[in-house]
Amino acid sequence: MKDALDRGAMGVSAREDHLRSILATVPDAMVLIDDHGAILSFSAAAEKMFGFAEDEVLGENVSMLMPSPDRERHDGYLKDYRDTGVRKIIGIGRVTTARHRDGNTFPIELSVGEAWVEGRRVFTGFIHDLTERREADIRLRHLQAELAHVGRLSEMGTLASSLAHELNQPLTAITSYCQGAADLLDGEQDAQRLEMARQAMRETMEQAIRAGQIVKRMREFLRSGETERSVEQLSRLVTEANALALVGTREHGIDVQVNLDPSCNHVFVDRIQIQQVLFNLIRNAIEAMLDCPIRSLLISSKSAQDGFAMVSIEDSGSGISDNVADQLFQPFVTTKGTGMGIGLSICRTIIEAHGGRIWFEPGSEGGTIFRFTLPKAEVVDDRA
Amino acid sequence: MIEPERLVHLVDDDAAIRRSVGFMLKTSGHRVESYESGTELLKASNRLDDGCILLDIRMPGLDGLEVQQALQDKGVSLPVIIMTGHGDVSLAVMAMKAGAVDFIEKPFEKETLLGSLEEGYRRLTHKEVTSDRIRDATVRLQALTAREREVLDGLAQGLPNKTIAYDLGISPRTVEIHRANVMNKLAVRSLSEALRIAFAASEQ
Repeated sequence: MKDALDRGAMGVSAREDHLRSILATVPDAMVLIDDHGAILSFSAAAEKMFGFAEDEVLGENVSMLMPSPDRERHDGYLKDYRDTGVRKIIGIGRVTTARHRDGNTFPIELSVGEAWVEGRRVFTGFIHDLTERREADIRLRHLQAELAHVGRLSEMGTLASSLAHELNQPLTAITSYCQGAADLLDGEQDAQRLEMARQAMRETMEQAIRAGQIVKRMREFLRSGETERSVEQLSRLVTEANALALVGTREHGIDVQVNLDPSCNHVFVDRIQIQQVLFNLIRNAIEAMLDCPIRSLLISSKSAQDGFAMVSIEDSGSGISDNVADQLFQPFVTTKGTGMGIGLSICRTIIEAHGGRIWFEPGSEGGTIFRFTLPKAEVVDDRA
Repeated sequence: MIEPERLVHLVDDDAAIRRSVGFMLKTSGHRVESYESGTELLKASNRLDDGCILLDIRMPGLDGLEVQQALQDKGVSLPVIIMTGHGDVSLAVMAMKAGAVDFIEKPFEKETLLGSLEEGYRRLTHKEVTSDRIRDATVRLQALTAREREVLDGLAQGLPNKTIAYDLGISPRTVEIHRANVMNKLAVRSLSEALRIAFAASEQ
């Protein structure tokens, strides 16, 4: 192992330390074997995933990490590959099961790479625990529900005043019909006056139902869920919002690059609200690029003045026309065929509530860059 | 009670409001002409020589303030009563500064509407005797302390309590107390009545 890696400018131990530091940070488990299945390296994540320490497994046959029948057949797989060179898993990957030290099996996604090091063939297995991924999927769905909720709340804020006005209309009609009908019933009660009073009652009912429908519409927006500000990592906010925003866009082949400045990673924000902003801006950027041949999205951050971090989202779309540019953040202004035109007004409401600013400018390649600022958090314990 | 039927020009874009308010006014002895927009009302402006105009402030197309201005431009001097929704008070105060007799908040009680119309008809028939009103208003305002007067002036500018509090360097709660004292001392029940006194006094 040492000999195999003793190349280049680094010394043996430096090289090994370097490799180890990489292995320690890889989130998926990583297991390195020789072409007979003997384990050469076992990452920290692998130790956690399988319950073995590295020195317990070094030199052991990798089949010990597999349940039957692979456990018995693995040596045969390796031999077949050595003899025929036909790849059945290398570079392809598959979903299979692995075996924990305690005997339990769990679903994994396995990817295998092959490399030649100093004339020796080694195989690298990356193992992703799918039980965790399933939990992550559930977390993702919760997050999505929360975001949708915040979206509704923000919409509600924007719409509250017009809804209140709308509700006053039927209430005014109800009051007037009832007063009029009461007057009619107070006076002489001939057939014509009674019929008019009856008609007023019927129309009162219709107006009460109209009021009820407005209330129902408001209630559908408002669901439980309080939010508050705390110290958050921008990298986490971006990763999560990005994952949501990219749902269902794989077929469009969007090239996403994330380039965050670690010096302004900590921000003092309402997590869900800022994710809503990121989500809206990323979705907008994606939609703006769908008709363009090049679809690249760059999410970046850097420190700005006065203790703020600035986040930028740049798309390679066709830009924003001048006639909507100056009212883009107003409610009910939209450039899309469908949509209410409230996404960006929500974004502005949220960012301004955080004391930040949001604006846009033309991108270098003809697209658009949306930028916003957020208050940085003073982190005393800076381990992250 | 053989009074002539009093005429109301009712302007609201909402058909349910035109029908229901029109119905209530008719059952209480009014004649009602309905218009579904400010533009409709203005088209009929050469026939607007009698009655009060009951005008919704929020309408698509021309809003209440714009209609008021257009009426003045055409020389129509019928009394205007503004109907507002909740939260439109600063708009309504602007309308009163522009000469509206009163504003009433939707939904309103019949007595409130009839009271405002009464004031409108009074102006219609007694245009000239405003000096009494001015003198009366001036006398009543003398009962207020300097601070109460400042709060009333703020309200007359259509400012919300919070803004008045900030301008005067006092808490919004204190503004509310002053506001209640103003209403008590002027013996009025609504903000619009208080404003009417303030505006009348300022005509002096």
